[in-house]
Amino acid sequence: MLLTKDSISSMFRSVALLWQNNTARLSEIDSLFGDGDHGVTVGKMAALTLSRLEEWRDASVKEFIENLGSGFMEISGGSAGPLYGTLTEGLAEPLSEGSEIDAATLKAMFAGSRDALFEITKARVGDKTMMDVLIPAVEAARDAPDDVLSVLRAAASAAARGLGDTENMAAKFGRARSYGEKTLGTPDAGAMSTALLFEGLLRGVEAPDARG
Amino acid sequence: MKMKKFINAPENITKELLEGFAAANRDLVTLKPGNMVVNNKLASANRVTIVTQGGAGHEPALSGFVGEGMLDVSVVGDIFAAPGPQACVDAIKLADKGKGVLYIVLNHAGDMLTGNLTMKQVAKEGLHVVKVVTQEDVANALRENSDDRRGLVGCVPTYKIAGAAAAEGKSLEEVAAVAQRFADNMATLAVAVRGATHPSTGSMLADLGEDEMEVGMGQHGEGGGGRQTMKSADETAEIMLNALLTDLSVKSGEKLMLILNGTGATTLMELFIVYRRCEQLLKEKNIEITANFVGELLTVQEQAGFQMFMARMDDELIRYWNAPCNTPYLKRGL
Repeated sequence: MLLTKDSISSMFRSVALLWQNNTARLSEIDSLFGDGDHGVTVGKMAALTLSRLEEWRDASVKEFIENLGSGFMEISGGSAGPLYGTLTEGLAEPLSEGSEIDAATLKAMFAGSRDALFEITKARVGDKTMMDVLIPAVEAARDAPDDVLSVLRAAASAAARGLGDTENMAAKFGRARSYGEKTLGTPDAGAMSTALLFEGLLRGVEAPDARG
Repeated sequence: MKMKKFINAPENITKELLEGFAAANRDLVTLKPGNMVVNNKLASANRVTIVTQGGAGHEPALSGFVGEGMLDVSVVGDIFAAPGPQACVDAIKLADKGKGVLYIVLNHAGDMLTGNLTMKQVAKEGLHVVKVVTQEDVANALRENSDDRRGLVGCVPTYKIAGAAAAEGKSLEEVAAVAQRFADNMATLAVAVRGATHPSTGSMLADLGEDEMEVGMGQHGEGGGGRQTMKSADETAEIMLNALLTDLSVKSGEKLMLILNGTGATTLMELFIVYRRCEQLLKEKNIEITANFVGELLTVQEQAGFQMFMARMDDELIRYWNAPCNTPYLKRGL
């Protein structure tokens, strides 16, 4: 199976809807050890994604994802915009102008998103950030059989496990860092929005009509 | 307790404060799209120029130091939040007069992220930019892990030092080296006795008990230091001063810059009482204060407390500190 423009569109739509349905939860978690606005920022990213999908006509998949990334980059409200902008631009990195994506390309896209973030943050697994979800998801995708659905499933379940793991970590990055051990028992808000991203990408292919 | 602030719609705070700030200082600065506060003298500058970025809510920092002899452009984010990288790239392009741009970033997660993304982009575009990071909060990491230290009020004297070096016509590499040398030899410790409210959300940024103070507060009340019972001015001065002297390994006979920066709700009266004790203690140790400031440079809304800043000085740094400048909140005779 190849991912067409339609499937990419459906994948980003389900990511946006999942984000939208979870903004309150994300802000609630963020308010414990951060400034409580992660849900607001993710809500802005969801709204931007939906409006970009609405306007998507002739642009290639690569252009669409790149433009979405630079759109996220400029969303105000802390680090989430630039982080997701970087992640999304990284997804587009390995793409060429032809718009159908096979499993190998999808794996390269995930690796591209991780590598783009590696360039701008020192956070790695164990630091209680979105990287606790992204890194294992990308690795699971890499090790999955070469078909698109297996890659997406492997990534989404590794992402969910990574999110669970953040509950047992003390924050080492960002504003939550100052709270250290007090953050044990609470998942990381950024890790949660990244897990929702991988879940949404999978749902967009598995159940394209599901609404969040 | 209900927040008592003179604001309008919370989502308009940054926009409205910048409009007011620019209007009140129109002889010195101009507000440009992208929340950029620009030095009116930038147009005629033929030297290294200086750009910084940071969240709003810390007035007069950071934009209060845009003007002759200090910053050329300050890019402002939302309340306590970094601006995006595109605005910073635009600011650097606007500032660049062909001699290169010094880009000063405070060490906070969001600012560093924007800083790294901005540097990636300007490198791609072939611009000549050097980034200097201010990270001097001794409370949250040891000196050997200074990458983990937060940037507090130390950015302001760093602007002054770098601005004066740029005004002397030094090259970008020289200006950056001076700024870095100053930054490597500075340290700040903060104390808070009462937290502030986040102006957009109304949430408390720190919750301190009746008879408590916390030494080692971050910029936004992140905590991370020692809570203790409230102490007198003299006792507090001694605790903080000794922590900074130890961190910088200051020896008898050295020269220092000492800044007491009120964070919003501590009176000048209190700051002077603390300063008095600092000077007495330093005199006993045969350490000279050759540069100082007592007042508000970088605030945290109505947080009560102050940041004590110390930097090791030499003759060149003293010359830069005393050099002329004309910005809304720091002026020296021209």
